Amino acid sequence: MNPENPRIPIALALCCALLSAAILAPMLIPIAVSISDSMFVSFPPRGFTLNWYAQVLADAEFQTTFLFSFKLAVLVTALTVLLGVPCAIGLTRFRFPGRSLVFALILSPIVFPVLVTGVALLQFASRLGSNDSFLQILAGHTVICLPYLVRTVSGALLLVVPSTEDAARTLGAGQFTTFRRVTLPQIRGGILAGCVFAFITSFDDYAMAMWLADARNFTLPLQIHVFIERSFDPSVAAISALMVAFSLALLLVVERALGLKMQRIVAG
Amino acid sequence: MSAAVQDRAAAPAQALLVANGPHRRFVLSSGAILVAPAVIFLLACFVVPIAQMVGYSVTAHMDQGVAVPGLTTENYARLFRSNLYWIVLVRTLRIAVITSLICIPIAYPLAYVMARGSAFWSRLVMFTVISPLLVLVVVRAYGWKLILAKQGFLNWLLQNLGIAQSPPALLYTEWAVIIASAHVFLPFLVLPIAGAIGKIDLGVEDAARTLGADWRAVFWRVTVPLSLPGLAVGVTLVFSLTAASYVTPQILGGNFASMLGTLVQQQVLSVNDWPFGAALATVLLIVTLLVNLVLLRLFEHRFARWAGAGAAR
Repeated sequence: MNPENPRIPIALALCCALLSAAILAPMLIPIAVSISDSMFVSFPPRGFTLNWYAQVLADAEFQTTFLFSFKLAVLVTALTVLLGVPCAIGLTRFRFPGRSLVFALILSPIVFPVLVTGVALLQFASRLGSNDSFLQILAGHTVICLPYLVRTVSGALLLVVPSTEDAARTLGAGQFTTFRRVTLPQIRGGILAGCVFAFITSFDDYAMAMWLADARNFTLPLQIHVFIERSFDPSVAAISALMVAFSLALLLVVERALGLKMQRIVAG
Repeated sequence: MSAAVQDRAAAPAQALLVANGPHRRFVLSSGAILVAPAVIFLLACFVVPIAQMVGYSVTAHMDQGVAVPGLTTENYARLFRSNLYWIVLVRTLRIAVITSLICIPIAYPLAYVMARGSAFWSRLVMFTVISPLLVLVVVRAYGWKLILAKQGFLNWLLQNLGIAQSPPALLYTEWAVIIASAHVFLPFLVLPIAGAIGKIDLGVEDAARTLGADWRAVFWRVTVPLSLPGLAVGVTLVFSLTAASYVTPQILGGNFASMLGTLVQQQVLSVNDWPFGAALATVLLIVTLLVNLVLLRLFEHRFARWAGAGAAR
């Protein structure tokens, strides 16, 4: 037996293959349904048509909410980086009173149910008399994304080789130059991982947006839920298939262009 | 939550780094200034709103937006007095517990192959496990709706394989919610377990094998006990996420399996009874925090000596 990797028994491999099929099924079935040439969703799909895609892609509600969610996710990611990277540096590189308390505070939004944080924000905003739904969603999403970014960036900072920073300082680089030219390149992976996670979290969120959204600030998940409740034809399946394709593209961009391991993003 | 555990484990390493690192000459203030924006932001948009919500939950019902002065436990008493709310609370806990339990036997084979398989299998399983995380939860729930409906994929499959002639529709039952929740939250269990298994020294398993244990004994008496810290983190996550989910039960359970989240939504957005909605949300929060505290503490203490060596990385 190979000492490095104990062999995987056939039964286990088979079991994993079956489970994998079950995991992928809910994402593949809509694709099969979306090309069905019938007014109702049924199995097996009948005929072949791409009309549902044409209909969905021309749908104004789908277009607006997709763009809105995309813009929102980009802004949330930017805000998260702006707040999170300095915070991670402060937490890992400096000692100050209450440091562990700050650490607990930053990470606590992970433990709190998003639904609860959302309703709390709604009640708070209403008491303040705020009507700016966009600002509220932006703040809410940043709250739930921040801990993940601080976590990935802190993890990356701990792996930075201290002697490289010392060398830069010895050779006369200032504090900022050292950070920009020596530390930053080493923690780029951690920042990017946090960004990807923040983007996905914001784009996917339902539990926060359901409280804070209004008619003009409506996110894509909310809109898709409306579609699911409203229509029984395969157009929703076409939307699902498009979103799966979008996710796949996202995954490829992340893996190829940024050279990131997905496991690192999720597991931190 | 997995973060909390990891970070707790990494804390000594961090402290060491801070103490011996090249930056100790920078005094207190620099660090405080760097974390200040994030801290102020979280205080304003997280801590204060949550505190206010808990405060709301002990406020009497408002008429036309005017709060009645004084504190009351009425909102909580109502939850336990009414049969309807009690049923929903118990159902929420039941669904969350069953989902967590179902996820465990599904997660172990996947996690084991992910941690111990050849490069090809490991990557393949990792890709399958993680890919759902990139797909909108709403879309995944819709996928399950297509599978579990009466005319859906599962029943079509069962009929064509001759397993069942007129299989029951699972859609709009608790089981539909459980199946979909297990699917949606499975990655949060597989990844910590895979992480824990990956940290087990291969020599330990080899030693057991050399001493005559068959694969079953190795799995049950070496792999499982040593992966319990990962299991604790994962189960806690699956439980909390399932208990607090809204859109999955909404799409798959309909009105027949509504959970606490639905109740909060109805009270706040439809009935406009904000104090009662706040009380329900607070109950959800307390349940989640309790499970986190109890499960993680339990495992932390019992398995500290095993986890300590590996978890610090």
